[in-house]
Amino acid sequence: MNKRFLIPILFLFTITLVAQEKSVISDLDELKLDIGQTYKPTTYSVDNQGKKYDCERVIYYYKKGAFSMTGKVMEFNRAKGTIKAVEPGYHEVVAICYGSGKSIRRTFNVTINYPKVKSIEILTGSETIYTDTYIPLSYKITDQMDVVRDIDYWKSDNAERYFSNLEFSISSSNDKLEIDDSNNVLAVRSGSATINVVFDGVKSSKTINVKKNNVNNIDLSIAEKPEKIRTGDVINLKADAYDKRGNLLNDVNIKFSFTGKSFDKSNTASGLILQDGRFVGDVPGKYILTASFGNASKSKVVNVFQRKVQREVKKIGAGSVNDKHTSDFWVFEGVDKRDYAVTGTWGADGTAYFWDVTNPSDIKKIDSVQVDARTVNDVKVSPNGKIAIISREGASNRKNGIIIIDVTNPYDVKIIKEYTKNLTGGVHNLFIDEKHVYALSAGQKYYILNIEDPANPYEVGMFEIGKEGQSIHDVWVEDGIAYSSNWRDGVYLVDVGNGIAGGTPENPVAFGNYTYDSGANHATFPFKSKSTGKFYAVMGDEIFPNGVNPNGTNETAGFLHFVDFSDLKNPIEIARYELPGHGSHNYWIDNDILYVGMYTGGVRIVDISGDLLGDLYKQGREIGYILTGTSDGYIPNDTMVWGAQLYKGHVFYSDFNTGIGVAKVSDLKPNNSMTNQYVD
Amino acid sequence: MNQKLLLLILIPFFSLGQNYYAYVASESEDTVSLIKFDGKEAVEAERIDVGFMFAEIEGPHGITVDPSGDFWYISLAHGNPFGTLVKYSTETNQAVARTTLGLFPATMEISTITGFLYCVNFNLHGSMKPSNVSVVDPETMTEITKITTGSMPHGSRLSPDGLFQYSVAMMSGELFEIDALDLKVSRVLNLENKIMNDKKMVGKMMNHDNMKGKMMTDDKKENMMNTMGDMKHSMVKPTWVIPHPKENVAYIAGNGSDEVIEVNLDKWEVSDRFKTGKGPYNLEITPNGKLLIGTIKSEGKTAIWNLENKEELAIIKNTTSVSHGIAISPDSKYAFISVEGIGGEPGIVDVIDLDSYELVSSVKVGKQAGGIAFWKKEI
Repeated sequence: MNKRFLIPILFLFTITLVAQEKSVISDLDELKLDIGQTYKPTTYSVDNQGKKYDCERVIYYYKKGAFSMTGKVMEFNRAKGTIKAVEPGYHEVVAICYGSGKSIRRTFNVTINYPKVKSIEILTGSETIYTDTYIPLSYKITDQMDVVRDIDYWKSDNAERYFSNLEFSISSSNDKLEIDDSNNVLAVRSGSATINVVFDGVKSSKTINVKKNNVNNIDLSIAEKPEKIRTGDVINLKADAYDKRGNLLNDVNIKFSFTGKSFDKSNTASGLILQDGRFVGDVPGKYILTASFGNASKSKVVNVFQRKVQREVKKIGAGSVNDKHTSDFWVFEGVDKRDYAVTGTWGADGTAYFWDVTNPSDIKKIDSVQVDARTVNDVKVSPNGKIAIISREGASNRKNGIIIIDVTNPYDVKIIKEYTKNLTGGVHNLFIDEKHVYALSAGQKYYILNIEDPANPYEVGMFEIGKEGQSIHDVWVEDGIAYSSNWRDGVYLVDVGNGIAGGTPENPVAFGNYTYDSGANHATFPFKSKSTGKFYAVMGDEIFPNGVNPNGTNETAGFLHFVDFSDLKNPIEIARYELPGHGSHNYWIDNDILYVGMYTGGVRIVDISGDLLGDLYKQGREIGYILTGTSDGYIPNDTMVWGAQLYKGHVFYSDFNTGIGVAKVSDLKPNNSMTNQYVD
Repeated sequence: MNQKLLLLILIPFFSLGQNYYAYVASESEDTVSLIKFDGKEAVEAERIDVGFMFAEIEGPHGITVDPSGDFWYISLAHGNPFGTLVKYSTETNQAVARTTLGLFPATMEISTITGFLYCVNFNLHGSMKPSNVSVVDPETMTEITKITTGSMPHGSRLSPDGLFQYSVAMMSGELFEIDALDLKVSRVLNLENKIMNDKKMVGKMMNHDNMKGKMMTDDKKENMMNTMGDMKHSMVKPTWVIPHPKENVAYIAGNGSDEVIEVNLDKWEVSDRFKTGKGPYNLEITPNGKLLIGTIKSEGKTAIWNLENKEELAIIKNTTSVSHGIAISPDSKYAFISVEGIGGEPGIVDVIDLDSYELVSSVKVGKQAGGIAFWKKEI
């Protein structure tokens, strides 16, 4: 056979890969650098016989990536092949060795040394230290680059992070203090003692004066005790300490604690007690509430009974959309005093539907608009019932923006204007407040538009956090305050006309902010409690722990965070509504009742009257719920509630798979006639 | 074995039909479709859901297949606020890893020499300011660095040797060359030169003439980036650049000026310009180097030029409106064109025969079909 013919044939049909396994070797391994030091690593490869090969080229990079390098952990000069140390800590560097047309890589641990400690200050707080109490110690460390770090061993993760490998010791000059294995310091005898600490070879001392604990008796009472304490009712404990002569002691910090036993032996007692004396019981049972200081204590026993707020909730009407997904909705009173609603659509053809909901048991689809978009995520209507605004995402020309619609006659709505300036990146949510529209732009900021003349809207203002990577999901306006939900940056309270911070729509001024660890802040609803006068920002999460499946059932997570904003400068997250197994989406609050779309958990109606503390779901505050999946839904029998709105006594909702619906909360208790019973 | 016998065995083997596979992203449906074309008919072999946020359209935009064919990569334009790059196995079409990139990550390609993926962060919304190119190690799915380029960078393509990455900045009207090894901008070319002579246009554009053909120092680059904050919109609006597979030239789609611009990469200067229909958007060159294919977005058409003489050989009406991306089979026989459609219309992939210049098959995919990448040809 002709060899010239055979060789290509063999090449075509026989591919034999002979690979010599190689590994990257580098003096980066366990390298220690000082801040500011530039280093040129030596990197090569070896095969499994130990033979060394030079790399034709080496590229180094920080393993956590450029996104994590906002603070610049290290700098790479790839032309010179050098690394410069910037941020102290333990880091990983990947070295890629190129040779013979292949690349191999390996990760190396590199330590950038913390600068040596220069000085230490021991902090003990302002409280008087008494015998039989723990001393709240923390340390202010200043390093040789004059960077100051506060290390609090009561927050051990912080201490671990920075100083886990440094030499640390703590001791007392005498037996007036006892120090346990976790470096907690207990005052055991009165008198003077010196705490000595050594950090990284640098010593510091602080003299502690321990006073004799004179507390002989504690008086414990419940302020404004209700006749009957129910689950979820917050009671306020008042405790005073006295010496043996009966003198009131003012400078002692009394600790509160509780134990309990559920009335139901299959359940366990549960509740929360704060160090300001507030207590709430989640589960019906007998609770022992204790105030203590040192070895003195006093207890009170309280019975906590079922809240019993459950009511029957019935579906009374629906407007079906089952050929596409439904998004947000808004119910409004038309200029003719009849009642109407508008719904958006998701991942579809840019349609928004208009409904006559005057008779909630007979909802009628009366008109629609179709715009160049794939998603009309949000819809809102002006308070006078004349103007609707809808958001656009996925426009074919990528200009998106908003559409302004005349809904004076909801049976024949008319598009007035398409507005896209600065909104081309897609408008996910929007709000209409008097003559202004607040429209999100590309998920980064919101613009404020004047729509006094809806045919000629114009931009008057803009609000953004101003951070790298700023992100926003929603904005809601009430009483001249805009509440924007900014994912990991939490809620921002912005004066857009209230006057509290001198802001206007033309000059929005932020005056409050609250963030939480999950970074999932997706919506915020302001809530002034009718029963207590307290002001809360109710911040909702949106979390899909296993990703999303728009064509099937999803797992959802996240909850509502109740943040007490009564003191604007010191917001405190005080309670949560978390439905096990289901995540939160959009919600509404009226007359101390929460109406919340819990995605797969349906519409939930929750009593949020009175003071709020702890786990609201566990406290039996839920009044009732409905599941909204239907057999003819876009995804059959798949409840996926988008949001809820109370309107003229009816609970309206939209569901991703079924459209719009209405429910009514009855005065009757739930009908349990169909519940299976067990013979005692 | 004699030659006749061997040929007898091999002929049936070679005469079997060939199947061509391409992936196409549907930006408004958060799906990617795998298209199979058997030489006669294109079908949607599989539709894959992509994205991670339920109520958001994350906008899969750019797509590429790695040189081994084992993985495909999709850029999701919208995030919180940064977009995402997701790596999928071609064997299972399941996601295997992801990483965060910049604002509106779009077009990307993998260098055969470095193995890195270079993805432009289009950042087309909001005020115009310099954006960047993300460089990702696809092995570890780590974004190694971001390299600042121009305003609204688009059309990331590598030189045939994999040593240089090219992109154009749509709003600042520039061609950027990045050294794929040093991971730095090596050259910038102002594409507005010709139009600058038009007095009506003067004053509407930035002037980077002083940079033409020069290697920049880091300081100069930094100064240049700083001045870009005040830039005016380009009249050329370049949206795509494709280096020639065999010659040291690149072709650029002038989406705003309705032209193709040829750049001599040795001299680093514009060597030719020729007019197109309205809104040329993407360009690709057949692997044999003979034909240039371009989508004429605003007209919903695809154009084919002979690169020897720049003659327009054919202009083909696409099946729906808003023509977008192009993928060409490695045998230079077929072009797969993604066409977006409008509103509730489905996206379309049109297959064009590059011998007859005829549209031979079409297949519906998800809404707003955009990024498209050829995967494999198999017997």
